[in-house]
Amino acid sequence: MENIGHGGKEIVERVLPKDAALKRLNELKAAKAKVLDVRLQIATEVIDIAYGFFSPLEGFMTKADVEGVCNNMTLADGKTVWSIPIVFDISDDELKKSGIKQYDEILLTYTGNPFAIFDVTDIFTLDKKEIAMKVYGTTEDKHPGVKRTYQYQDKFLGGKITLINPPKINEPFTRFWLTPKQMREKFKEKGWEMIINHQTRNVPHTGHEWLMKGAYLGAYGSMMVDKPRGGILVNAIIGSKRDGDYIDEAIILCQEAQGKYGYFREDTFLTTCSLWDMRYAGPREAVFHACLRTNLGCTHHMFGRDHAGVGSYYDPYDAHRIFNTLPKGSLNITPIFNLDWWFCPVCDEVTYMGLCGHKDKKASFSGTMIRSIIQDGVKPPRRIFRPEVFDLIMECAEKYGFGDAFVTEDYLKRRNPVFTIEPL
Amino acid sequence: MAEETYPINLWINEERLEKLQQAGLAGMCKEVLAGLKVLAVPNTAEQRDTILKIFPMAKFDTATTKSIELLPKAVKDKIFDLVVKKKSLSVMDEFIKTQTK
Repeated sequence: MENIGHGGKEIVERVLPKDAALKRLNELKAAKAKVLDVRLQIATEVIDIAYGFFSPLEGFMTKADVEGVCNNMTLADGKTVWSIPIVFDISDDELKKSGIKQYDEILLTYTGNPFAIFDVTDIFTLDKKEIAMKVYGTTEDKHPGVKRTYQYQDKFLGGKITLINPPKINEPFTRFWLTPKQMREKFKEKGWEMIINHQTRNVPHTGHEWLMKGAYLGAYGSMMVDKPRGGILVNAIIGSKRDGDYIDEAIILCQEAQGKYGYFREDTFLTTCSLWDMRYAGPREAVFHACLRTNLGCTHHMFGRDHAGVGSYYDPYDAHRIFNTLPKGSLNITPIFNLDWWFCPVCDEVTYMGLCGHKDKKASFSGTMIRSIIQDGVKPPRRIFRPEVFDLIMECAEKYGFGDAFVTEDYLKRRNPVFTIEPL
Repeated sequence: MAEETYPINLWINEERLEKLQQAGLAGMCKEVLAGLKVLAVPNTAEQRDTILKIFPMAKFDTATTKSIELLPKAVKDKIFDLVVKKKSLSVMDEFIKTQTK
């Protein structure tokens, strides 16, 4: 067996080749299969499931899976660690109108085009408030993950997914889109034995750069240095946006720029993207990221301060501590925990909280602060923010953001979608 | 113990620096982050909460900097002009009044 993913299972792609897909589509049409057009949120997760990003999931969760995730942080088997529900919601009205029943095979369409087959094996309801509390630790709808949970319709469908019409990934994302199997091929090509994942939904400042460099040096250990035997994978999360976030195009291109302009050697650095709507679930999202990156073939995963957190819902190091609560051997990826990096005017460099003795002189900076500096029309110094990255942000604002590097309503309405499903 | 303040960071670009120099206020800037100049306009907890309510796109960076960030540039320009006019960083009460009229 090759390509072992999270949970020790081989990654299975549930994608039909074109001829078989057309045959199945015609059979479904002849059998007058029910048809559901799905929204972007669901379409994204259909793609993730079908290519094995969410392995060992082969479909949307059943009620037993969701209950396992909420109560024990495992799938229904009681063993496989999983921290975030992956669900397909449907309104009561739509369920009645469509006449969907358990064990139906339904055709999913996206933007009107045939997309996937859904074998519905479970139809169920969930207590959304209970999910919110167990997954996010709060029932406040100010929390974006809780808000998403409350916005789900009242019924849920569980069952396997088969993709019949692969997405067309649009520019500039095309070259960054690698499926888990392709990602593993790429690592083999590069000769990497150690792959450190850096999770991001931001453009990089030098704090991020030094986090990655620190993790690389720490994890490289005693491997021979005759050739690069390891590298850093920046796997950018591309998904639903909030007002004021950097636009997706700026995120991915600026991450790539760190290699392009030599801040990392190109043979030790790779930028790719995964489609995922951040839930901001803090510690539970950290566990999810570990599972996702295991499926991509990574050996290590960096977790910084307040990883995937929002507001003050989580302690800054909750996302580190949660890994100590998991059964030994339940994850096949090594977490690398980071403290803060800051700018020290005495050392005159970006440095690490665990090493720098000038805490009282430190100048902390965050992605949010850098955004604020850029919004004020100020070019940050190169020790804080690489000039090539700054220039690229400005270019992206013009080329993709309708004059703005940050998400606006206009951008959300007019942007080129990350993927499209074309007629089959 | 000094009362905690929650600054709005007005980052100093050339245009702002020129205005400060003309008003003889360039010394009000602090140098942070490898020479980057900033005017840190203090807010009380109450002023901070009011600002976040009036400008929902703004964010209080609870995790790292404990500052109010992501106010639109036009809003920060108004605060900056008030600082120059009053030659003082204590302008938030007056600014908030102009926004809640």
